[in-house]
Amino acid sequence: MNAAWLPVTTLITSLLVVVIIFSLPEEARRLRTTVNLLAAVIKIILVMLMVGRVSAGREDIFSFQVVGGVDFVLRADALGVMFAGLSSLLWLCTTIYAIGYLEGSANRKRFFGFFSLCVTSTIGIALADNLFTFLIFYEMLTLSTYPLVVHSGTQKALDAGRVYLRYTLSAGVVLLLGAVLLHYLTGDQSFSSEEGLSDYLNDHRGLLTLIFALLVGGLAVKAAMVPLHGWLPRAMVAPAPVSALLHAVAVVKAGAFGILRVVYDLFGLQLSIELGVISVLAVAASITIIYGSLRALAQEELKPRLAFSTVSQVSYIILGIGLFGPFGTIGALAHLLHQGLMKVTLFFCAGNYAEELGIHRIDEMDGAGKRMPLTSIAFTVGALGMIGLPPVAGFITKWYLGIGAIRAEMYWVVVVLIASSTLNAMYFLPIVHRLWFRLGPAHGQGQWPKEQRLGRLETHGWLLWPMVFTALASLGAGLLAGMPFSPLDWATRVATGEYLP
Amino acid sequence: MMTLLLALSLLWPLAVAGVVIWQTYRTPSARRDYCSVLWLSAAWPALLLAYGGEAQWTIDAWMLGGEWELNALSRPWLAFTALLWSVAALHARGYFATEQAQAQAGDQAAQRRLMRLALLWPLTLLGNVLLIIAQDIASFYLGFALMTFAAYALVVHSGTQEARLGAKAYLILAVVGEGLILGGFLWAAGEANTLTLQGVREGILTAEHGAWMATLLWLGLGVKAGVIGLHVWLPLAHPAAPAPASAVLSGAMIKAGLLGWISVLPLGEEGISASLAQLGQVMLVAGLAAAFGAALYGVFQRHPKAILAYSSISQMGMLTALVAMGLVAPAVWPLLWPGVVLFAAHHALAKGSLFMGTSISEHLPRWPRALIWPLLALPGISLAGAIGAGMVAKWSVKSPLYEMHHESLIKLLSWAAVGTAALVGVAVWRQWQQRHQGGSNPWQWGAWLTGIVAALATPLWLPLPADSVAMPPLKEWLGIMWPLPAGVVIVTVGGALLRYVNVKAPPAGDLWWLYAGVTSAVLVPMRLIARGCGRVKAASVLTSKQAEEALMGYLPRLLAAEYWMRHHASGLMMVLALLLAALLMWEGQR
Repeated sequence: MNAAWLPVTTLITSLLVVVIIFSLPEEARRLRTTVNLLAAVIKIILVMLMVGRVSAGREDIFSFQVVGGVDFVLRADALGVMFAGLSSLLWLCTTIYAIGYLEGSANRKRFFGFFSLCVTSTIGIALADNLFTFLIFYEMLTLSTYPLVVHSGTQKALDAGRVYLRYTLSAGVVLLLGAVLLHYLTGDQSFSSEEGLSDYLNDHRGLLTLIFALLVGGLAVKAAMVPLHGWLPRAMVAPAPVSALLHAVAVVKAGAFGILRVVYDLFGLQLSIELGVISVLAVAASITIIYGSLRALAQEELKPRLAFSTVSQVSYIILGIGLFGPFGTIGALAHLLHQGLMKVTLFFCAGNYAEELGIHRIDEMDGAGKRMPLTSIAFTVGALGMIGLPPVAGFITKWYLGIGAIRAEMYWVVVVLIASSTLNAMYFLPIVHRLWFRLGPAHGQGQWPKEQRLGRLETHGWLLWPMVFTALASLGAGLLAGMPFSPLDWATRVATGEYLP
Repeated sequence: MMTLLLALSLLWPLAVAGVVIWQTYRTPSARRDYCSVLWLSAAWPALLLAYGGEAQWTIDAWMLGGEWELNALSRPWLAFTALLWSVAALHARGYFATEQAQAQAGDQAAQRRLMRLALLWPLTLLGNVLLIIAQDIASFYLGFALMTFAAYALVVHSGTQEARLGAKAYLILAVVGEGLILGGFLWAAGEANTLTLQGVREGILTAEHGAWMATLLWLGLGVKAGVIGLHVWLPLAHPAAPAPASAVLSGAMIKAGLLGWISVLPLGEEGISASLAQLGQVMLVAGLAAAFGAALYGVFQRHPKAILAYSSISQMGMLTALVAMGLVAPAVWPLLWPGVVLFAAHHALAKGSLFMGTSISEHLPRWPRALIWPLLALPGISLAGAIGAGMVAKWSVKSPLYEMHHESLIKLLSWAAVGTAALVGVAVWRQWQQRHQGGSNPWQWGAWLTGIVAALATPLWLPLPADSVAMPPLKEWLGIMWPLPAGVVIVTVGGALLRYVNVKAPPAGDLWWLYAGVTSAVLVPMRLIARGCGRVKAASVLTSKQAEEALMGYLPRLLAAEYWMRHHASGLMMVLALLLAALLMWEGQR
């Protein structure tokens, strides 16, 4: 039985929120919050339904024809549901966080409207079943994120927004060109088609390589691969929940997810290997990983350091694809979720420090562990996870990527992984050290830059609990990776069920 | 029952850590007891577990699949580790009594330090216990990492300049070590497609590059075990750490590296490849070099704990050489390993007692001198192999070597024992020079005495396989005991000779200073390169901006052209019409 309503309803749920929020007046804070949270919860339930159906082997498809030969198709497959799950879970967390974060600030209607639109786009990206549908939501994401990036309206934010648009819109054009070329070559190409593009290999080798380069090149901008990453550190001026969403699930991940789709579903792993593009991808990812870590080391402010860390970490996903084997694939897919959980935690923490204590620079963080213990514990968990230390989730992915590299006899990748972990340790451990082992304003030395007492606990509850939850989730995803329906388990299911011979 | 004990021994330290946090927020500072009885008990369930017998657990949901086991190797290991942790905790209660009084009187800094220590002590212990029972890679690595990073707080405790330097050296080398271990594990496990330590061992044995995997693991774990070249953190961290922390660091934690070697290297297996045997020889040489080099360097130190740290390096060097025999001469390993475990266990307790002894000599109890100083020297004498468990331990590694005719190694080990004796002699002498009166706490000396008794009686309580170790026969006693007097004599004579020569003590941490110098020298050109790259980037951004502006400059001109066309629309139309007409006419002509 095909429950076509399921993917559509999931999409509509968040789209409806957008409409409602924009039609409500600015002051209707309580109603807006209720609608937002209700929809987020409903969406999680819907995604859980989809998870259940996919694990039972059913894939729900919704489609209609737009014009001849071009269809709008939504399909709940394992990979899509994985991304949708991440998106809906983190939507709830970031929404709760954003409500606390923007308490009393202006333009909240605009913010939450576009925030929901952004999440709608990610759901659309997750469930899109052909390049056309994917592109629609991909561009929608670009446009809906812009108002969020420039939310504060300062000159710096507007500049960052302009840079962001330049990068993403020109990438969009490149992507569109690739999509059009592909359409010209093959007609409508569904992500779910079994045969892939291998029929065209003999006659159109050059064209296929070009299409691949265009598609991946376009997607790599959002995935922030070097040298196309310039917009990401700039976009740090956005409010913390936006940064969290941007880095963990929305924009950066959308790019990485798109590359996953192109390699696994559109071209197929076999064809990509025969084209020889996979190794290029692995090399590019490795360069990004090392470069991002090196740049992160040089940053003196917290959020830019986290941003460069994202540049580095997201390329683990691309690297996993580049290892063309079961372990690499599982590692890549699991990292999609793991990195999301850990990065969102780190950004929540950064936001909390900024809101509660006015901390932006790393050297202002001395002794913050005493003043904000839960935030600092969460930050420590996230940082250890980024380094790849057990029991946090990052270890699991690093393990799978490393094993995948060995199985593929790409020993240099292991060197890259270990170098990256060491660099991660070099830029995260000093922060952790500052938090717990240095003396600071909490010990009566100096003053916090701008201290506010936002809540009865260390900070506002709305800011605190989402962060605690995501920290626990990243810990649990590593510690109980062997459980059914853990991220690793689901990634294994996706990989063995769909992409491996 | 065993499962309950297992759960308890892992959860109990966690619960203790939880209680410490709870106490920090709930108990007023004047009544806060950091080393409470509950805190002391953190290691007790693990100690019970070690005597509970052999057992096995498989937990699928745990990380990559948990495989835990108490076997002939891990049981004695857990026993001596947990015992040392318990004794050191008792000692800590006395050692930190003054600090605790300060904390209760309202000293914020003391409160902070003690809270940190009380919290991370059980966590370090937890890591140590977990890595001993772990048979799968992920759990082992988790235990190892938890122990390594949590122990940072133990080293840095006092927060002085030296403590920070020691902790920094410790942490940097630990990160390097973690990287090497991970590389080795990934390589070996990837080739062999396994998730267990047993699988890694077999994988190394059969893989083409097995020797290189083994090298990575040897060096990575060797950071903890103080392999020569990677040992530099020991003499920097030990003098700075509080005595009970030094005791567990030197007794229990550096043994984790040794346990790792025994677990992952294919010791004593049949069919060891030539390259693995070669690695064994390298290990043998490195071990002996550490055994002798550390002794030579250590005797010139001033700080008793630095001397003891060098003694640890020297002892671990001997153990490295013994482990290397498992690769060089595999046949000897089945006989040798109980001896190695006994050696390790005895060293753990003896070195633990020696480190605890340093705090005794800093606060001498009002006992007769004739009682205290022999007691302070006693674990050292045993360590040199002259009495008690030390003698049995020496014999239990010597006799298998005799049986397999490795006399030259025996001779070298005996000479290394001279070094041990010399180091211990110097250590006790330095303690004498730097002694302070001022009454020890009963917990402090009580734990110290317990440690000494446990060290001397190690073979009696260590749950080794039956009949694997024995008392040496009487005629061998001389051969085992001679290094002690020899070492003491050498030190006395040397000390007397050097008395009138002004010898400056070489800095503790020897090669660390070299590494630091090299690193900072390398960083200079790297910084220059980075600055150059930054300039290139800025220049290219500028160029592309200029190019963009130039391009944008054409746009108004285009618009102007459009304006011109609009202005002359009628004329242009005429021209176009004429052209069309001409074209048609030309077409008609053909």
